[in-house]
Amino acid sequence: MNLKVKIGKLKFSNPVTVASGTFSYMKEYSSIAEIKKLGAVVAKTITLNAREGNPSPRIVETAAGMVNAIGIENRGADYFIETKLPELKKLGVPLVVSVSAKEDKELISLVKKLNKAKGIAAIELNLSCPNLKHKTLVAQDKYATYRVIKAVKKATKLPIIAKLSPNVTDIVLIAKSAERAGADALSLVNTFSAMVIDIDKRKSKIGNFTGGLSGPAIKPIAVKMVYDVAQTVKIPIIAMGGIMNADDALEFIIAGASMVAVGTANFVNPSAPKEILAGIKSYMKKNKIRDIKKLIGSIKKG
Amino acid sequence: MIKSQNTYKIISNKQVSEKFFHICIDAKSILKKIKPGQFVHVKIDDTLTPFLRRPFSIHRADSCLEILYEILGEGTKKLAKKKKGDSLDIIGPLGNNFSAPPEGTKNITIVTGGVGVAPFLALTDILKNKKYNITLLYGGRNSDYVFSLKSFLKNKCKVFISTDDGSVGVHGRVDKFFKNISFEDAFIYTCGPEPMIKEVQKFAVKNKIKGEASLEEVMACGIGACLGCATKTKDGFKLVCYDGPVFDLEKLDFNANGKCKCK
Repeated sequence: MNLKVKIGKLKFSNPVTVASGTFSYMKEYSSIAEIKKLGAVVAKTITLNAREGNPSPRIVETAAGMVNAIGIENRGADYFIETKLPELKKLGVPLVVSVSAKEDKELISLVKKLNKAKGIAAIELNLSCPNLKHKTLVAQDKYATYRVIKAVKKATKLPIIAKLSPNVTDIVLIAKSAERAGADALSLVNTFSAMVIDIDKRKSKIGNFTGGLSGPAIKPIAVKMVYDVAQTVKIPIIAMGGIMNADDALEFIIAGASMVAVGTANFVNPSAPKEILAGIKSYMKKNKIRDIKKLIGSIKKG
Repeated sequence: MIKSQNTYKIISNKQVSEKFFHICIDAKSILKKIKPGQFVHVKIDDTLTPFLRRPFSIHRADSCLEILYEILGEGTKKLAKKKKGDSLDIIGPLGNNFSAPPEGTKNITIVTGGVGVAPFLALTDILKNKKYNITLLYGGRNSDYVFSLKSFLKNKCKVFISTDDGSVGVHGRVDKFFKNISFEDAFIYTCGPEPMIKEVQKFAVKNKIKGEASLEEVMACGIGACLGCATKTKDGFKLVCYDGPVFDLEKLDFNANGKCKCK
């Protein structure tokens, strides 16, 4: 059975990865043997300088999901490269580093720092975090999306994965822009902009006032977005949005995703990525599919 | 991907007052690892309601894993319906633990309210053999919040009870007892509603008494991955699940929490 997938020149042993910000490698808790089985690992988004993150409460549970506003809390690029990167490299799984910045200049300096570090397989450009104080996200503007990706491609040889926002009128337009600018792959989709109100206090339940919805609640919308984009662009898609089990992951693959990222499910069931990989394998066996490439985008119409 | 995730059977699940339940779980493999103050992260069932796991303080880890819980929402309502023989998917023990009182400590005061009393049975199980004078101050909203604290008496604690409505014990909040207690060579442990911990902190700082507080926060992962349960301390944001739940009492920064800076 062939589970290998490719993004640009990069090869991954299987299509299962984790979504940025949902996976943290903790020696005392993590089973390395299981992490090694993943196709890739995506680290939590880093910024050039440290960010404190948003005030609490940062998460609220909702029907079949959760709203979060963490605010990209991280200790900055230098800390990541010196402290986190060596540990993540030891896992022996292709490492995708997710990055975000307020402005282009900052992003380019960050990418240049990563160029010098070794052991990074690809960069994911988080153009779509809904919890920063931007008026519009880069991924809500096709021109800005093009400009930022183009600039980053110039600054690095590492493959670039653009993570797009679902909070747009037509995600296909943004996806096309990203492809034209030279993105090697797309990550679809980030969280949906959302609010939860405490009716007794008549206040938001989130410290940041608004947040992003993730979990099974968003899955059918995310599947449609992946399908729409897959019809239009040629670059591979890494899909995420409420994947809880192998069936969910298979929906995205059949819709056109080359890889699937397990996000919120990690919080509920830390074994979800392992179970999803096993489930994809048994589905392929049952349906006599020898190569995962035969499954990607195999949705039938009519 | 987690080493300490396992499924265990329920031994018993009993109501102890209108709002509180006590569950015993057959989790022999982790009992010896558990330290007072730690918690377990429980998946109530396989449905999407509740969606997230629920963190619970460990009440006691002796012959079984004991949890004392209050019915608050969907998760605890469902947990209360679980019967002997049902299974629970549990990650844990997680978080740090209460430290031993510093050398020279004679008087230990535990200030707690409501379900915040939960972690202190495990703590007093250890402290009872060490010649401390232990005082437990317990505050509840009303009589529903007051249930048998006999196990604490067995652990050689002097117990004082207050209720907000005066239905049981002294009328008022637990800080009413502060003036009757010896805080010489003292150490304080506290857990309960945030306003209570804030009062305890104020009192402790004013009287130069050291102590520790166990915090409660909504959690997603429980293992330091999601950064969802951050709380403000004098050293910046710390994670209740990973850096806590037990914190140095004077380090907590309550004024910064929950304030919306953005709008």
